[in-house]
Amino acid sequence: MSLYPQFAKPNTTEQASQLLSGLSTGAVIIAGGQEIMPSVNYGHLMPSVYVDINSLKDLVGINFENNELSIGALTVHRDIQNNELVKEHVPLLSYAAQWVGGGWQVHNRGTIGGNIVSMHPLYDIIPSLLILDAEVEIISAAGTNRVSISDLLNDTSHGLGSKSILSKIIIKPMSKSLGWAYEKLKITSGGYGSANSAAIVETKNSKIISLRVSVGAVSPLPVDISSSLSSLIGNEWNDSLNDIITSKCSSLFDDALSDQQGDDQWRRSMASVMAIRSIKAALKKIE
Amino acid sequence: MEDLLEDTVLIQLRINGKYHELEISPSVSLLDLLRDELNFKGTHMGCMTGHCGACTVMINGKTAKSCITLASTLSNVDITTIEGLSDEEGNLSPLQESFWNTAGFQCGYCAPGMLFLTKELLEDNPNPTDDEIKTALEGTLCRCTGYQSLIRAVKDAAENISASKS
Repeated sequence: MSLYPQFAKPNTTEQASQLLSGLSTGAVIIAGGQEIMPSVNYGHLMPSVYVDINSLKDLVGINFENNELSIGALTVHRDIQNNELVKEHVPLLSYAAQWVGGGWQVHNRGTIGGNIVSMHPLYDIIPSLLILDAEVEIISAAGTNRVSISDLLNDTSHGLGSKSILSKIIIKPMSKSLGWAYEKLKITSGGYGSANSAAIVETKNSKIISLRVSVGAVSPLPVDISSSLSSLIGNEWNDSLNDIITSKCSSLFDDALSDQQGDDQWRRSMASVMAIRSIKAALKKIE
Repeated sequence: MEDLLEDTVLIQLRINGKYHELEISPSVSLLDLLRDELNFKGTHMGCMTGHCGACTVMINGKTAKSCITLASTLSNVDITTIEGLSDEEGNLSPLQESFWNTAGFQCGYCAPGMLFLTKELLEDNPNPTDDEIKTALEGTLCRCTGYQSLIRAVKDAAENISASKS
């Protein structure tokens, strides 16, 4: 065991997962490095081994097969913004990726896999994946598993520093008749949000017949609040629905964050504000 | 699988057109490699968190923040630093001339970020709107807050580069 950091660049997922299973907890997987390097630079993270996964071909590429869009974990944000398959089948994700912080430099190197496994409360990708019912493929020495993104969020063993590798994200295509929106409370799109919300709505005769809404940057992890807003189904949008959303949201975020982006009480208020904004914006897309 | 572990990493980089083969520590950032090992001091150190953009370079023609890029993950890539924007005699490129002629910079510490983001913008979009310029420059902070001057310089660069191509 070296006193200094070591480096490994496996060529296959089998090699990588076997290597990870034999390493101590100080090993980290690295691809674009946009999440890890700030922590390394400030001494908050001191990896014993960097496992570079950039050579793993199983983690590359965007494909549409069997009515599923598969996005390799090494896909960078810029490609999610610009790829025609993503824009056609999951335009919500393509749009949300534009709001990732750090500017083009980070969009060119930051990967969707890194964004997910960092499980950062303020990031912009997971809120959309939650309401798209996305699934992820996880590879470890024990084999390959496919789990929903919501299950992944509840399993802390899949975060940074784990012995598993997130290989791809699988999403069912969105119907063209759906309205969708991602709203982020931030002065510019270049940084952390103080609250955000993604929404997907379907209407018939102007009445809401299905509704999916998530809120991010308020709790320690983004939250799918769709079931709490089920009483909106069957209604045509009107201002009284604002009060229902505000009332429901007021009891959903007991664990609201307090940081430089805003304190917990304000964050709780902003959760409903952003949910209302995203639902209204999604409805407007249908009009 | 422990035979995969290395104490040092051998990488090959083409920096501003010149080939380099380097044996480096696994944990060195591209910024430290460029500044401390290879003496490309034009790549500025700012925040070390990826927020400010003063350390921007181009990797294979795309902008990247060198302070949050682990050098050992790069091999067989083309890197352009700000020194590579001018020619070998030190003559400024049309892009740099525009920033000079319009006083685009105040202190100039953010120059790597602003110049490379402008280069990336104008390669895809030769005639950007103000909003498109603002979006493109989001990844770099100007601590002098001279954003209006920067937008003016990008517009001038768009005209200057179009004229130099016609």
